Amino acid sequence: MKRIGPFIVERRLAPPRHVVFGVSVLAVVVALLLAALVFWAYGVSPWRAYAEIGRGTLGTVDGLSDIVRRAIPLILCGVGLTLAFRAQFWNIGAEGQLLAGAVAASGVALFVPVPDGLRLPLMFLAGFGAGALWAVIPALLRVKLQVNEVISTLMMNYIMAYIVEWLVHGPWKGPTMRGFAYTDMFPTAARLPLIAGTRVHWPTLGVGVVAALVVGLILSRTRLGYEVRVVGQSPDAARYAGISFTVVLSLAMVISGGLAALAGVGEVAGIHWRLRSPSHISMGYGYTAIIVAWLARGSPIAAILTALLFGLIFAAGDLMKTTLGLPFQITGVFNGLILFSLISSDLLMYWRIRWRRRGEAWT
Amino acid sequence: MNMRKLVLVVAALTLVGLLGLGAEKIKAGFIYVGPIGDYGWTHAHDVARRIVDEKYDWLETVYIESVPEGEVETYIDQLVRQGCNVIFTTSFGFIDGTFAAAQRYPNVIFAHASGFKRAPNMATYMADFYQVYYLNGLMAGALTKTGKVGYVGAFPIPEVKRHISAFTIGVREVNPTAEVHVRWIYEWYNPAAAKEATEALIAEGCDVFAFTEDSPTVVQVAAERGLPSFGHYSPMYEFAPDYVVSGQLVHWEVIYDDFLVKIHEGIYTTRNLAHVDYWWLLAQGAVECAAVPAVVYCETACVSDTSCACCCGCCCEISPSMVVNPVYERALKDYTINHPAFGTISVYDLVFLRHNQFADPGITFDPFEGPVYDRKGNLVVPAGMWMSYDHLITMEWAAAGVAGPWPGEP
Repeated sequence: MKRIGPFIVERRLAPPRHVVFGVSVLAVVVALLLAALVFWAYGVSPWRAYAEIGRGTLGTVDGLSDIVRRAIPLILCGVGLTLAFRAQFWNIGAEGQLLAGAVAASGVALFVPVPDGLRLPLMFLAGFGAGALWAVIPALLRVKLQVNEVISTLMMNYIMAYIVEWLVHGPWKGPTMRGFAYTDMFPTAARLPLIAGTRVHWPTLGVGVVAALVVGLILSRTRLGYEVRVVGQSPDAARYAGISFTVVLSLAMVISGGLAALAGVGEVAGIHWRLRSPSHISMGYGYTAIIVAWLARGSPIAAILTALLFGLIFAAGDLMKTTLGLPFQITGVFNGLILFSLISSDLLMYWRIRWRRRGEAWT
Repeated sequence: MNMRKLVLVVAALTLVGLLGLGAEKIKAGFIYVGPIGDYGWTHAHDVARRIVDEKYDWLETVYIESVPEGEVETYIDQLVRQGCNVIFTTSFGFIDGTFAAAQRYPNVIFAHASGFKRAPNMATYMADFYQVYYLNGLMAGALTKTGKVGYVGAFPIPEVKRHISAFTIGVREVNPTAEVHVRWIYEWYNPAAAKEATEALIAEGCDVFAFTEDSPTVVQVAAERGLPSFGHYSPMYEFAPDYVVSGQLVHWEVIYDDFLVKIHEGIYTTRNLAHVDYWWLLAQGAVECAAVPAVVYCETACVSDTSCACCCGCCCEISPSMVVNPVYERALKDYTINHPAFGTISVYDLVFLRHNQFADPGITFDPFEGPVYDRKGNLVVPAGMWMSYDHLITMEWAAAGVAGPWPGEP
């Protein structure tokens, strides 16, 4: 507790829901006001900017479908991350796990002889497996050798990005691509169906929503979920209770990495239909998903909403580039402002300011 | 009778007026893969866009930068919604998105840079440097003292491989024992990696440099050690005036101008582009071998009747382009070889001789004129033959004289 003039600043242990919601909305409003200044300074009327953005994103079917399409990988990665974060396992590696899924799915799509009907399911399975395998390595390193997972998961992103780069420049370079670094196009049976008139690959969206529900159930209703929470909130209590860190962290990372990898499967099978340079497969979805999970406060269901929010922010950024003709750097500033205010608003949730009551003692 | 004539004249004028109105305005959208400030590929396309935009009243242009390859269709949708009737996509990775969009919007004209998929409403275009690299190679071969020329390559794809091989053939023509040492950085833009690669090549003993990367890093690093180099894509002379020998410059505006004017005149329509493929070289002026391009001064009020190649009204050339940096003129003139075709000739003269052969509309020479052997000793172009266009854009082999890794070498 701190005293500033007649005010008392004190810590809130568990902020009530309406505070969390109210403060978050306030943060977005503040960010929009700040961004309005940037627009104004750039010579674009903020009113017009927001009107165009609103109409282009929320006002048309194209705009809405674009939000959803961008949200799909964020939902899958974000949901997985909420589980890892609940165990206080700081998985920064969703980006690499996503790419691992994209690699495995591309391998199945291009090189594994299976009947057409089984190809897509097998791609999802192989993708999940590859992501799980990639994610379980840092979990084991942490439990067995006390390797800091922030570093190991982050570094493994680079390894996977270079593996993708090597594959498309080397053994998997497509003979029909005239020497450019892309694999051949996937056969039709390896492409995900889209919602007619949009680019939304609905099977991946469905998998994402189901995953959110299942992870929600795991966390609240199962022994694994309970153990994950105990490991996260009180490692000493967990150890005392005889909970195996190896099992709990490995399982949490298998699910977390597997789900991120499914996002990668969805991107290559639903959007690109080939493996290509890593920076074009994922526009940093694995990193953005960290914020998605963090804003969702560890709730997988809430991660769907925060993922959609980021889908909206991305789509708004695109629109600023096209309709308003702003340079891409302004898009970055806009996204950054929103992120910055959301993250710094955290302070307001956990601290409250109130008048000192008459006669109240300073403590 | 007079009345009748008058009516006819009025009718004719009205018709002309209607036709005139029919010649619609063109709104052209440009989709770039990188930022316009990259000092390379995207920057050059945007400079070209601004030139044609200023030149024609009937033309309006818009652009979108830093578009990820998988997102191109979304952006094309938005440009079409904004009323663009011509769309240029300027990265190979946009190929399938552009092709799909061309099917979806049969009334919009598309042009895709560096690709090979065409449709009745989709053309392809490319300004290629291989002749220029060959000319630069001639100079590099004369300037190297160690017999090792360094090359920092972006990606081992046919385009870059073609350029390195053409460069090497030039080096070897004047210096048969010299080698071109290659380092790949696997990025189009990465100054840090380019610096590292240049330093490694210097450590290997290379003393002249050429490269494919969208920044002046190689030029700067080489200049710090007092070593000459060749600028790439944009004019890089100003970054090291004493060390930039020459370079490869692009003029995309030449292609954009031709293409858009032909649309405006009704020569190109949404139904006849299936075979329109620009592969423009020195002869068409789409590329240039120079350290500094010509400075052209534009004047709306005409003072002389100099023919105009740029913007508004009249233009006068203030200074011609600097093909060879004067600092190196002496060295190139003093370096003479016994050439099988031209006898005793200085490299300086050889460069201009070859340059004229390329610039001649009926090109009389090609760097890959057979017999050409790859570095493994295989005959890749038979004697007396030139490479076909398909061979050029798919070539994976390395010319004799190239040293270093060559991913995908047959």
